[in-house]
Order: sequence, then C-alpha cells, then structure tokens
Amino acid sequence: MEMIIAGLLDSLSPASLMFVFIGVALGVLIGAIPGINGPMAIALFIPVTYYMSALTAIGFLVGLNKGAFFGGAVSAVLLRTPGTPEAAATSWDGYPLTQQGKGEKALRMALYSSVAGDFVSTLVLILIAAPLAAVALFMGPAEIFALISLALTVIAGIGTNSIGRGLMAAGFGILAGLVGTEPVTALPRLTFDIYQFGSGLSLIPVAIGLLAFSEILLQLEKFTGKVGAEHAANTFSKKLEDRLVSFKEFFSNTKTLLRGSLIGIGVGAMPGLGAPVASFMSYDQAMKRSKNKDEFGKGRLEGIGASESANSAVVASSMIPLFVLGIPGNLAVAMLMGAFMIHGMQPGPLMFQENAQLMYGIYGSLVIASIFLLVIGQFGLRYFCKAVNIPAMILYPIVVFTCIMGAYLGKSSMFDVGVMLAFGFIGYFMRKFDYSYVAFLIGFILAPEWERALQQVVIISEHDTYMFFQRPVAMGLMALTFFVIARTFWKNTKGGKKQQVEVAASAAGEHKGD
Amino acid sequence: MTRIKRDLIAYLVIAGFSILMLTWGIPTYTPAHPGYGASPALVPNVAVGIMLFMACLSILRICMAILRNESISAEESEFPEDMKEEAGFTQVGRVKLFHLASIMVPSVLLVVAIEYVAYIFVSFIFLMVLQYAIGCRKCLQSVVVSVALTAVLYIVMRYGFGVPVPGPQLF
Repeated sequence: MEMIIAGLLDSLSPASLMFVFIGVALGVLIGAIPGINGPMAIALFIPVTYYMSALTAIGFLVGLNKGAFFGGAVSAVLLRTPGTPEAAATSWDGYPLTQQGKGEKALRMALYSSVAGDFVSTLVLILIAAPLAAVALFMGPAEIFALISLALTVIAGIGTNSIGRGLMAAGFGILAGLVGTEPVTALPRLTFDIYQFGSGLSLIPVAIGLLAFSEILLQLEKFTGKVGAEHAANTFSKKLEDRLVSFKEFFSNTKTLLRGSLIGIGVGAMPGLGAPVASFMSYDQAMKRSKNKDEFGKGRLEGIGASESANSAVVASSMIPLFVLGIPGNLAVAMLMGAFMIHGMQPGPLMFQENAQLMYGIYGSLVIASIFLLVIGQFGLRYFCKAVNIPAMILYPIVVFTCIMGAYLGKSSMFDVGVMLAFGFIGYFMRKFDYSYVAFLIGFILAPEWERALQQVVIISEHDTYMFFQRPVAMGLMALTFFVIARTFWKNTKGGKKQQVEVAASAAGEHKGD
Repeated sequence: MTRIKRDLIAYLVIAGFSILMLTWGIPTYTPAHPGYGASPALVPNVAVGIMLFMACLSILRICMAILRNESISAEESEFPEDMKEEAGFTQVGRVKLFHLASIMVPSVLLVVAIEYVAYIFVSFIFLMVLQYAIGCRKCLQSVVVSVALTAVLYIVMRYGFGVPVPGPQLF
C-alpha cells in the first residue's frame, strides 16, 4: 500500500505533471498533422527523454501517445485525411459533419469518446495487469521462449498482406537485434569489424529511421507542393448547438462508448491486432445494433463515438501484454518498451516486484494523461485544428532535420545518424515492397530476450532436446505458433483464389511501371 | 516492371543475402561455441534460415504460377495505383528513385560534411537544399526556415540538453 501511495505521489510531482501535460499537448498537435502518428512521435522524442527521470520520461511518452491517438481524429474529421489507419472510421461520420459546419461538434464528440475509452481501458489495465503478472512469474525460460516465438509469428502479419514477407522482415529484425556482444561468450558477434557495432545497434536510430525518416520519404512523394493547399475552411458554425455536444447527446451513446471501449480493451490486449481492427470492429457493431443504420456515414455522432472509444481504449490495454509478459503488442508499445529499457527497466512481470513504486507512478501518469487530454482538447481544440494546415515545405524539412538530430542526441555520434539514414533507406523499400517494418522492429527488440531464453533453456536442460515436451505450457505455445503459421498460409492461399488476375499477363508486362 | 517481377527480384536478393550470411557472414563474425549453452551462431542461423526458407518458398510459388499459367491475387500482382479500387492504407508502390536520391544524397552529404565543416553552415545549406528538393521556390521562406531551425536546434542541444553539436565548435 505504501508503494502505491508513494508511486501515485510521484506522478503528482510538478516535473511529472508538467511533462505529461507537454506530452499530451504535443501528441495532439503532432497527431493532427496528416502523416505523423504516435509511434513516429515516440521514436522522435525518446532521445529527449534521456535527460528525464524514468517516471517523467514514461509519463511524457505515454501522454504523447494518448494525445496523438486523439490528434489523428482532427485531420480525419476536418480533411478526411486520417493520419493513421485507426482514424479512418472516425472520418466516415466526422467529415460529413464538417461539411455541415459541425466540425467542432464532431471533434468534441471524438474527444469525449477518446477520453471515455481511454479512461475505462486504463482502469482495466490497473486492475488486471498486476494480478496477471503474478501468474506470469511462474513461467520459465521455455515458456518465455515459446511465447516470444508465438508473438513474433502473430506480429509478422501486421503491416503486410503476406505473412511470408512478414516472417522475412521479422527474421531480418532478429538478425539486426543480434549484432553486438554475444551474451554467453561476451565476444563481438556480427560486427563485421566495425567497432561501433560492438555495443549493438541502438534502438533509437533504427526506430527513427524505420518509423519517421522512411515515412517522411514517402510523405514527400505524395505531399510535395500539396499540403497546405487543402484548408479546413468553413469548418465551424457559430451556432452553439452545432459546436457543443450536449449531455443528452453524449449519454445517449453510453452503450456504444462502453461497447467500443470493451472491444478496444479486448483487441489491444491481444498482440498483433492493433487499433485499426478495434476501430472498424466497434464501428461495425455500432452500425449493426443501431436503430438508425441508414444515418451512419452521413454524420452520426454514434459512429464517431464507436470508432474513437475503441481505438483510444487500445492505448492502455495494449500495455497489458507488455507489463504482464514483456511482449509489445503493437508499434507504439514496442517504442515504449524501448524507452523502458533505455531507462534501465526490463518490461515484464518482474517490474511489479523490482520497480513497484515506479509502476504505480506510471499508472498515476496514465490517469493524469487522460484528464489532461480532456482539458487540453476542451480548451485548445480550435488551435490544434490549425496544425492540419501547416505547409509541407515548412513541416517536412523540420521533421527530417529533427530525425537527424534525434539520432545524434543519444550517443552524440554521427555514426548513429548514418545508421538512422541506412534504416530510413531500408524502411522506404520495406514499405514500398510490402515488408512489415512493424515485424522487423518487434523482432529487433525481442531478439536478445528470445536468445537469452533459449540459452537458459539449453543450459538448464543440459542440451536435452525433449525439454519442451516436459513443459506442457511451452509445448502448447509452440504448437499454437505452428498452428498460426499453417492457418495463415492456408487463409492466404484461399483468399488469393477469390480475386484473381492472370499472372502470365502480369509477367508479360501488361502494366508498365518503373 | 510489374510487381510480380519486382517481388521476384526482391526474393532473389533476400535469398542471395541469406546464403551469403549463412556461408560467410555468420561463420566469420560469430565467436566459437564455448562448449556450454547453445552455439552463438544458432539464433542468427535460425533467423537467416527463416528468411531463406520464406524467400525460396515465395520464388517457388511465383515460378510455379508462371509455369502452370495459374493466377495470383491482384493484391499481390498489381501496384495499388494500377488497381481500380482504393488502395487503402498500404504504401506499396513504385520506387521513385529520383525523389529518393533528392533526399538521401543531401542527408548523406550532411553526415559526411558536418564532421569537417561547422554544424551551423552545413545545417543551413542542408535545409536550403532539402527545401529546394521538395519543391520550395520561395527564397525568403527557405532562408527563414533554415536559419530558425538551425538556431533553435543549436540552442536546444547546447543549452537545453548540454550536448555539443556535431562537428567543429565555432562558439
């Protein structure tokens, strides 16, 4: 109990409050800019947190992520340009409201729904993470190895249409994660005689390159000379009923919000699904259960509430696998995992024993971030809307240069900037060729832990290859891993037959390209 | 070049890289097995093995489809911009090499030049070039953005974080 109170008091310290506030405000601002999302913002700002205490840093990044999730709705509602996939469902009803001059009302509904979903999800995280972590402590290295194998397989399907390419990306990520010092012999491995590789590839330059720099390379293709041309004009009506969401309007959607939150919690707690799935699933359910199905897509507040409550609920619930098992379920959490490691913590069930006070401080920061999101959104909404009109000519050079300096900041090394550029280049091709950079990054982050677990299994079992058969949970998880691979291959083959074009015609060069 | 052809080339490159790593990279740059625990080469071999296996499987699948004149889903065989329906959120598309070079070349030059020339000069020139590359032709705007950004980051790094900016220190 003392730990809980001390942790919560830590989260109420002026520095912590200030950085959570800055994080949320920055997150909303960044999320509102089309093309910049939460994980990218976290990657860019992790170097800044080197100079903060662990609690302040995590609070800041959590606030950034929460803010960016809501911020994504701003461009979706005002421009029908969702900055992130999960905001797409919000635009279906948000943009029609903007066309009716009710953009502010749509954004306020998105804000209240986001806060509601986020708050419920945070409470669930607080209530169940610690008890589940206590159970997870009974897992040995064999179970951890099997669990990471399963997670890598599930995650291989994210961000690509092909699990085969996802697995290749995960394999490449694992390989990159193994560069550096080998854990058993403590000798350099895969360093190719480059001494800077001796301590391994740092997460920050790799993440900034893959997430931010490669994204900017792509955005510049699309937006050069165009961003800023599309203004959110005639957005806000001056009538009060067109600007504000009444209590009646909000509470008439309570069921939808609750359902959306529960869907978001369920989806977020499962590694690999992510916020877009929650958002679309919740929207679909809201439409099916509504008495006014025909009004969906024409500017219905219920549609916005369903989408936003679900995708915001994913933010906190996706931390459940991180806190309980030490496995990131999506990209934003993978970035947070990196931040935990940078600040000397190994995410997983042991965190509740080794860093109990800090964990409760983080819980406090999560709740505070939700409150700040409501306050900042309530009073600053109109100002954040201006972010969607920042011209590309000004915005993108700033982001490119921030990527470069962010990569430099970690070790004050231009070598890391080179690494960042290399991974930006690789990331550009990965995206263009449909290889999952999410699978790569999660493979990169989990590789050392995966190898450590394997080494422990081999050493404990004294090279007994039947070790896994003696551990039913590990065996079950490995069986599940093979089942997931087989099922996905089968589904891909079956799905491929539905929509067919002649490969011979394609190979003959029917479509002229580069 | 069609997407199928491009993918085939990519799989061949991945397979080639994997074979190179398995036969030269991993054996040469991995310490010897100390006699206890798993071999230090085991996990790298498994990771590269997965890449090689999946690449070979994909090559085989495409070759079989071509030989049997079978069909492959439009999602896999066409570029999204060629498809009639919306491409959704996928960023799959044709590589625009000139665009890529216009950003990457100045960035690489910045990394090299900053070690020899002071941060302030190199950053200013880099930002000017970058803005020109992305289509900005407003001279005053370019200068203002370049000067402001260079100065802000200098102040933040030097006085905010206490980190020296890269390259020779002028002041």
